Amino acid sequence: MSSNESIISLEGVSFNYNQHPVLQDINLSILPGQFIGIIGPNGSGKTTLLKLISGILSPKQGKIKIFNEDIDTISRKKIAKMISLVPQDSFISYNYKVKEVVFMGRIPFINQWRGETALDYQISREAMEKTDSLCYAEKGIHQISGGEAQRVYIARALAQSPKILMLDEFTSHLDLSYKYEIVKILQDSLKEKVQCIISVFHDLNLASYCSDQLILLNEGIIEEIGTPQEVINEYNLKKVYRAKNHIVQHPELAIPQVIM
Amino acid sequence: MRSLVELKNNNNLYGYTNWRYKALLILIIGFFAILIVGFIGLNFGTIIIQPEKIWSIIWQHQTDNSLGLIIWELRLPRLIMAMLAGMTLASVGGSFQGMLRNPLADPYILGVSAGAALGACLAIALQYTLKLYLIPYLPFFSLLGALISIALVYLLSQKQTRLSVSDLLLAGVAINFFFSAIITLLLATSKQGTHTMLFWLMGDLSTANWQKISWVILPVFLGTLLLISSSLELNAMALGEEEALHLGVQTEKFRMKIFLIGSLMIALIVSFTGLIGFVGLVIPHIARLLVGPDHRIMLPVSALAGSVFLIICDTIARSLIAPIEIPIGAITAILGAPFFIHLLKRRNNINE
Amino acid sequence: MVHQKTMSAVVSLLLFIFLTSPILCWANTNAGDDLFPVILTDDLGIKITITKKPERIVSTAPNNTEIIFALGLEDKLVGRTDFCNYPPGVEKIESIGMLSPLNLEKIVSLEPDLILTFGGLQAKDIIRLRELGYKVLALDAETLSEMLNNIEIIATACGVPEKGKELITNLKERIDFIATSSADIPASQRLKVFTGSSYEAIWSPGKDTLFDDLITLAGGQNIVGNQKGWVTISSEQVALAEPDVIIITSGIMNPEEIDKMKDDVIRHPGWSQIPAIKKNHIFAANEDLFYRAGPRLVEGLELLYEIFSGIKE
Repeated sequence: MSSNESIISLEGVSFNYNQHPVLQDINLSILPGQFIGIIGPNGSGKTTLLKLISGILSPKQGKIKIFNEDIDTISRKKIAKMISLVPQDSFISYNYKVKEVVFMGRIPFINQWRGETALDYQISREAMEKTDSLCYAEKGIHQISGGEAQRVYIARALAQSPKILMLDEFTSHLDLSYKYEIVKILQDSLKEKVQCIISVFHDLNLASYCSDQLILLNEGIIEEIGTPQEVINEYNLKKVYRAKNHIVQHPELAIPQVIM
Repeated sequence: MRSLVELKNNNNLYGYTNWRYKALLILIIGFFAILIVGFIGLNFGTIIIQPEKIWSIIWQHQTDNSLGLIIWELRLPRLIMAMLAGMTLASVGGSFQGMLRNPLADPYILGVSAGAALGACLAIALQYTLKLYLIPYLPFFSLLGALISIALVYLLSQKQTRLSVSDLLLAGVAINFFFSAIITLLLATSKQGTHTMLFWLMGDLSTANWQKISWVILPVFLGTLLLISSSLELNAMALGEEEALHLGVQTEKFRMKIFLIGSLMIALIVSFTGLIGFVGLVIPHIARLLVGPDHRIMLPVSALAGSVFLIICDTIARSLIAPIEIPIGAITAILGAPFFIHLLKRRNNINE
Repeated sequence: MVHQKTMSAVVSLLLFIFLTSPILCWANTNAGDDLFPVILTDDLGIKITITKKPERIVSTAPNNTEIIFALGLEDKLVGRTDFCNYPPGVEKIESIGMLSPLNLEKIVSLEPDLILTFGGLQAKDIIRLRELGYKVLALDAETLSEMLNNIEIIATACGVPEKGKELITNLKERIDFIATSSADIPASQRLKVFTGSSYEAIWSPGKDTLFDDLITLAGGQNIVGNQKGWVTISSEQVALAEPDVIIITSGIMNPEEIDKMKDDVIRHPGWSQIPAIKKNHIFAANEDLFYRAGPRLVEGLELLYEIFSGIKE
């Protein structure tokens, strides 16, 4: 992996929270066109890693580079034009309409006084169409269910025209019918403007299904990086999750699935 | 004219309404609303002056007769000060509610008002106990107190590089408590001054004159414009701290910016009008009910609605039981509280 | 011994003060063949120039209203407050409402050329009225002599200095009669006097108040006379001071009200051993005679003198 190609690279990154080490000596290089999954038990530092890459947290040690630029040197606004993040849960203080929430994804691109352009509206609408949330466009965000809201947040993240799309447990409220639809939308977006998707997963099977590469975290260090086939095996899972598990092959696809 | 037509044609784009078209409409409606309500307000007071007479007094700028004096020197400055105060309180209240993600926030929550009140009450106490002629300088004392409390809240809430919502709120609440305690002490120990202090604390527009308006008008308009220009970021803040960061907002710097702009505006207005309550809390909610929570529309509507509301309250305050004048804080509370309760009930019904 | 000397010295000083020129509120009258223009300085230290005789006077102070009537100027009075209740005839004059805040519109609509206020609470409205161009005098008093000086100022301002001098002379005669007969009473023989309003706390007028001045001139000793201004005093302190006389004041001299007030004092917990209560030396009087800086202060002085003399016999 030559560092000229990678769009995200972490070198020797560590992070503490109140003197308590959360991540230690993280080295990563992410190439374009990939769907990266981050898995690991609770407390292993998954969300922290996500926040470090999106620039919300600053590492105690080490360097993070986005498109070969040190993340410290990039302004918040510039980062926002490149990276968008779908949170796991969100509480919105006021009852904005769904279409307004999605439209907020365009904020990094809008000049306050010149105002938005027709293109901004178009992108927002397309994002809602893709996530099948257009029917809720006029409803208040407080009036829709958790699953519907999650699709709205994904729409917002897509409306932000990201080059890097990050997600934190994006299917926690979604039912089966939507889970794979959303995955398809995400994979489709990889063929368009999005150059890389990074997602935190609790669901190992979904992680295996979606990801080109998996990062397995264990107590703040990278236990293993590789394809799902390489990472998800009984030994790794036993070591990291400390639970009995069985690995089977998916009947149609060449990916491992975990059975309790 | 052509651009207006263009605006209207671009109105419905992919399901969205052009923001500029809405904003223009609001400005025009608000402007006329203020003019109408203001003119009606000029009719009332201790004596009712007929509209035709008011028209001629204004057109001919009569100040030589007593009616002309009443209109030009007593009622008009009050109405304009009420308009400016209402605009300030409502737009700052709305901004704070967005910035702090707290629907119960009002412009006084971050400690400015307590400092202003302390400055004023101190001046009044000194006037009556030491017999120093301080009353004409009351606004200066009040402004000084306000600036001191702004500085204190700023210093208290600066924690290394972090400046969270709770830090700001706690600092403001702490300053409010502390200064209020001192004010209570002053109220209890200053027999003659207590009456004057209480009137100031309840809001008092009777000291408005053209000179004070000239000091206040530019900062108020500028400040309101600055707040409205922060609408996109305020919208982002409402999504959540991290979400706002991900949308490119430097949340901590932004919070400080809104805090300083809003607090300075409030400090200035409160120095001249005392503490008028409820406007900053309730009017933004009314605006949200009318036009939704998008700050780009909500803040201008808040500002204009605040102006109209306070002009109406001032008219009632000095006309209802004339020649006795009701403190304007009482009127805003009496009109504002039932509406606030209605709002809460509506919220509960929706949530169920 | 030292106390007695101080007492005499104080009373003598007071005599000296109002027999010569008063210090705290001085008037700079421009005496000439013409009565106008005059330049006057009021309580707030502002110099007012009056260029011609006022024809429309508004009084926002009950004390000044009484002075206007005493100077015979009531036909020039066009406005007074709800609290101006004396002398009879004052009801015929239009009222401007409360004492504070002042109804500026009402005052403006009466088109006054002189406004008499008492300062104090009205300070901010006075500023406003001056901004609007009106001639406003703020006159109040903490001693009898200041009150007499105010009469002189008002008389000069209104173009009736002779009438003013006449009124002052009459009042001074009555005052002197009492002051001289009580000047020599040593402190130990003075009756201890207590008066106060009691709501949650008892407020009593101390030094530099009118009531204190009157008590001292009449030959008594105010139990809170060593503290400045209006003071709070506890029930205990009153009991410890053992006043010989208790004065109850009321705005409305309604017999039932007064009996009830007297009763409240007698039954006040912890006060049963106070000399004033044991000997039933509790007297009720119209409060306007003691708190209002007008000519009726002299009536109040005379009433106190009568009460004190009556007890001593």
